Amino acid sequence: MKINLKSPVSTAVAIGVGIIVLAGYFIPSFINIRFILLRAGLVLAAVALLVGIINLITVHVKKLGADSENSGYSLILVIALLATLIIGIIDMVQTYLVGKPNFQMTSWIFTNIQLPIETSLLAVTAVSLTYAAASILRKRMDLFSIIFFLVVLLVLLGSFSIPPATLPFLHVIREWILRVPALGGARGLLLGIALGTITTGIRVLMGTDRPYGE
Amino acid sequence: MSATGFTGIVVIVLFVGLMVFFSFINKDRKTYNIRPIPAYKKIIEEINVSVEDGSQLHISLGRGGITGPESAAGLAGLGILKQVIEKSSVCDHPPVASTGNPVISILAQDTIKGSSKAISVTDNIKNPSGELIGVTPFSYAAGALSTIRNDNVSANIHTGYFGNEITWITTAGERQSSPTIAGTSQLTAQAVIYASASDPLIGEELFAGGAYLGAGKMHQASISAQDVVRWIIIFIILASVFLNIFGIDVFIENILAGSM
Repeated sequence: MKINLKSPVSTAVAIGVGIIVLAGYFIPSFINIRFILLRAGLVLAAVALLVGIINLITVHVKKLGADSENSGYSLILVIALLATLIIGIIDMVQTYLVGKPNFQMTSWIFTNIQLPIETSLLAVTAVSLTYAAASILRKRMDLFSIIFFLVVLLVLLGSFSIPPATLPFLHVIREWILRVPALGGARGLLLGIALGTITTGIRVLMGTDRPYGE
Repeated sequence: MSATGFTGIVVIVLFVGLMVFFSFINKDRKTYNIRPIPAYKKIIEEINVSVEDGSQLHISLGRGGITGPESAAGLAGLGILKQVIEKSSVCDHPPVASTGNPVISILAQDTIKGSSKAISVTDNIKNPSGELIGVTPFSYAAGALSTIRNDNVSANIHTGYFGNEITWITTAGERQSSPTIAGTSQLTAQAVIYASASDPLIGEELFAGGAYLGAGKMHQASISAQDVVRWIIIFIILASVFLNIFGIDVFIENILAGSM
């Protein structure tokens, strides 16, 4: 008879650690244990990042061999990842040899490649958001979508500082929308999210939700 | 113990009590009356479509981890992933899962393996993956695009922690004319989802997936517990407003301060 010990052990560890960390928020004598467990969790998360990167490389190397139209992107990803890794290792060795932090090449990559790319993508996001707001009525022509569209329009008009869109009543309407219905709605949504978060956490602590296999 | 700590314990004990109570009184009930959420109805429809036409579902779990406030959204996404895998076990092509967080990626792979084993789908070829496709918001969004543009993907389910970058993902799904079901716990991203996804999950709807996809009595009980606590909060808010309007709050404060 094969007995599977993995499931009850992992469930017991998850529930036990969860209860101790939760108790650390409310009972002062549990604070130190909570910090120890959270630090262990952060170390495990860092190891998980390493595993995730290996998974990422494996998936994209497999895509290189496959007859896929996106294999070019996979090649760029693998080359960029390996190049950044090698440069990072060189920087680390130099830091060790010099005896003081020396991450010039890594900083150059972040400042001159990653930062401009992410900033450009952020700019494109603004365009994408505008497109999404404009296309809402095409997707769902109902009362709430019309209200959503009109509110977006009013808030945008109220934000303009270029004449002739600087009508004083638009600013007043914008301020009222942001201060009263938008704030009230946001609080209502946050309350709902908080209730959902609590029940999700409790289900994990009770062992009815086990997001770590069976 | 501080007053905040005591209140926290009271809230958790109240929730646990209500959840156990509702799961106990409803243990013999076959049906459970909960308000319809179109997005979950759409998920079930899309599972059926993928079974019929041999297509694939894409489930993205966002970029939230498990050590921050965004962890609940990630766990809710994993719960939905588990249900979708169990329900689509007879598909020719099992669902593909993608994440932007390494821990959620490992948990997704574990959930997939566990669910596949439970439903006896042990063939490695049939087992879906839980790919980590990017660790920053935009690299994750850009990485998800190639999966969304896959012709075999018939629908996209985005449940987890996303920021405003989700507009890229949802808009890409719309351009592919594939249904997009999306939910996140981030407030501004919810507005983006409402505008750009065909079937948005707003507020706590993201956390109710288990109850709507048949994960068990405790999920349905947690919905009832949330409703009870919501009514308690509504009562407290209304009572505070009335006390403030009639000046009774100052009267009570004075009594408590002993100045009357």
